Amino acid sequence: MNEMPALKPDLREKITVRVLKFFYGESLALKSINLPLYRNKVTAFIGPSGCGKSTLLRVLNRMYELYPNQRAEGQVLLDGNNILDTDQDLNLLRSRVGMVFQKPTPFPMTIYDNIAFGIKLYENIPKSEMDGRVEKALRGSALWEEVKDKLGASGLSLSGGQQQRLCIARTVAIRPEVILLDEPCSALDPISTAKIEELIDELTEDYTIAIVTHSMQQAARVSAFTAFMYLGELIEFDETSKVFTAPREKRTQDYVTGRFG
Amino acid sequence: MSRSEGVETSSRQKAKALAGLRFGDAIFRGLTQTAAVSVLLVLSGVIVSLVIGSLPALRMFGFGFLTSEVWNPVTEKFGALAAILGTVTTSLIAMVIAVPVGLGVAIFLTELCPQWLRRPIGIAIELLAGIPSIIYGIWGLFVFAPFVQSSIEPGLIAIFGHVPVFSSIFAGPPYGIGTLTAGFVLAIMVLPFVASVSRDVFDTVPPVLKESAYGMGCTKWEVVRRVVVPYTRVGVIGGAMLGLGRALGETMAVTFVIGNAHKISASILAPGTTISATIANEFTEAVGDLYTSSLIALGLILFVITFLVLAAARLMLMRLERQKGA
Amino acid sequence: MSEALYASRRRSNVIVMGLCYAATAFGLGFLALILGTLFWRGLVGLNLAVFTQMTPPPGSSGGLLNAIMGSLLMTSLGVVIGTPLGMLAGTYMAEYGRHSRLASIVRFINDILLSAPSIVIGLFVYEIMVAPMGHFSAIAGVVALAILVVPVVVRTTEDMLLLVPTSLREAAAALGMPRSHVILRVAFKAARAGLITGVLLAIARVSGETAPLLFTSLNNQFWSSDLNAPMSSLPIVIFQFALSPYADWQQLAWTGALLITVTVLALSIVARWLGTSRTAT
Repeated sequence: MNEMPALKPDLREKITVRVLKFFYGESLALKSINLPLYRNKVTAFIGPSGCGKSTLLRVLNRMYELYPNQRAEGQVLLDGNNILDTDQDLNLLRSRVGMVFQKPTPFPMTIYDNIAFGIKLYENIPKSEMDGRVEKALRGSALWEEVKDKLGASGLSLSGGQQQRLCIARTVAIRPEVILLDEPCSALDPISTAKIEELIDELTEDYTIAIVTHSMQQAARVSAFTAFMYLGELIEFDETSKVFTAPREKRTQDYVTGRFG
Repeated sequence: MSRSEGVETSSRQKAKALAGLRFGDAIFRGLTQTAAVSVLLVLSGVIVSLVIGSLPALRMFGFGFLTSEVWNPVTEKFGALAAILGTVTTSLIAMVIAVPVGLGVAIFLTELCPQWLRRPIGIAIELLAGIPSIIYGIWGLFVFAPFVQSSIEPGLIAIFGHVPVFSSIFAGPPYGIGTLTAGFVLAIMVLPFVASVSRDVFDTVPPVLKESAYGMGCTKWEVVRRVVVPYTRVGVIGGAMLGLGRALGETMAVTFVIGNAHKISASILAPGTTISATIANEFTEAVGDLYTSSLIALGLILFVITFLVLAAARLMLMRLERQKGA
Repeated sequence: MSEALYASRRRSNVIVMGLCYAATAFGLGFLALILGTLFWRGLVGLNLAVFTQMTPPPGSSGGLLNAIMGSLLMTSLGVVIGTPLGMLAGTYMAEYGRHSRLASIVRFINDILLSAPSIVIGLFVYEIMVAPMGHFSAIAGVVALAILVVPVVVRTTEDMLLLVPTSLREAAAALGMPRSHVILRVAFKAARAGLITGVLLAIARVSGETAPLLFTSLNNQFWSSDLNAPMSSLPIVIFQFALSPYADWQQLAWTGALLITVTVLALSIVARWLGTSRTAT
């Protein structure tokens, strides 16, 4: 799609992607993406392996800057400001746009410290207040009841699903505005997956969410809007129900009906 | 407080917190880079200071320094030949013994040893590598040299006494200390190193490869000779060269048993000297700039020799890693 | 199939495998021999006096106190100076400069310094410290030991940091953490056991070094904590006493050798145990 998808006038855009191109070395991985991410809504990125959905997600918090041969061109507007500008403070950006990864990555510290770690970076608060913030973050990711008696245990001692919820708690503890989820459930069992999908629904009250997922069913369950990508291009973007029941493009139709994947 | 307000103050607060950390972040990065560069500086410093220190001697003796056997502190005539030949000879003797034996140990550990014994024996070999070289030195002097003098050397002299060329290589009298003993002690020092590097390299052979050879009915030796060694050839050579580099520079294990004679003899049973042994024994008593400078020149020669050997070994091992990575 | 050929193949195999057994017996035999001699000769002279009295002049009895303390002091200082430098350099190579040209060059040079003759390092420190200062000193010995510590620590730091998965680093960066925090607070913590192992190995290596001390810290018959003066150390005392013709000096040399070996072996074993036990988290 080479033009911006028809904007919904009654919804505000948190992030606007304009004519975004992405390069790994010399090869073009994302071809002129135009896309809105609406405030307090969940947008899902779906598509076959290698279509560029994770690449696109990682542009939104400029995670690619950690690697030398990767670069982006175009505009990504967060509340109207282009985050691809060279004078954009990357650390500040990432404090506003948080990310949860496919593989749960608890830090080698206690559960308490995993959460407090991020908070301490930005705020100097007394221990009593910190305790409250940690509890709030853990409640916010539906983990509090399970770990409240072992906050001093290592983050690595939790199960896979719990570790992932810990990572989510860690991310929301620093109060971002957007949360990016990169296939957060692909390494988890169905019960943990269900818990996290419930969580995503609750999180939309305070955050704008973008989720990359391999599972179309998951996209259909959690998201309000869906972007279908193929070979680095954005093929279709619309309300999730429309994408799955009455897609405009044939390729979208073929993908969601399972003709290829 | 509406959510957007809370977000804005929070954003400003975060920007402030991050700005405060920016300076420290840059300083840390600068520190690590400086530290990395300082490693280069140390090496350059070593080369430069050795060259400067050797200049008086090199200017006085010129190229003849490398070819003269004379080492006379009284007449102030110095030549490095005896020391250089001694270094090379002892190291060669050491490698001739240590490489085959080390490979044998590595083959044992990877092919013959029962699984439960592998770790203990591997650890024992590595412990051998960790023993400080001065221990080898005093053991060599007090235990090994007398044994060599009483048993091995008379035996060698007797065996080769009437064989044309060899009789001068193994000519008496049996001092016990000397080039051969030093070479042997050095061999025992280098052996564990060669063994563990070879063992690590042998372990990188994919089991599938060995299994296909066994599947054709090959004996263990044939598998080792036809599959394992060719596959790991570069790594084994690299490891052997690293061992050689260490043998060339070894001081303490050699100084005790080399005999410290600045003489070149045909017989390896005779006392001799190596570069490091000469420096170790004479540096603190060297009187006069020329004497000191000659010793430093010896150090420079040793450094150049070991640098070349180690660099070649590194390049070989790097090629192996690249080959594996591809 | 030719019977003769098969038999000769079998024969070669048996011979070579027998040689491999022999080689291992050879290596292990010498280990046992050396350690055995060390314990037998060294243990005899091990008494309280070794730890309470200074090195004696020939012909009288004494101990190794000044040598032991000198070694402890110089080794600790050398490690204290060399470790931060080595860790910072290793951090650069694994983190900031991972694929840079500078890192490749430093890695190459570092590996050469790792195996370089330690006596040459001693000469270097002589040239830059002892000669200008006009006298031998413990601090020169400390510098020489620090130069030997650095390459070991650089190598292990880089290797250990490279083992930390990138996903952990990305997770920290995703919180907005500045690079130095990601490295110090997360990567270092994750690699902690390996880093400690590296330091222990460096200590073990440096404890037995004699050559670099020969013309830097020299020797001292008495104990003084003055860093600006020559200082005694175990390896140097062993060197001097073993080569002397006096029986009681030779005995002290054996006992000193035993002390060094036990220390070095203990450090290596602890380092190995730390390395393997922590990886099973």
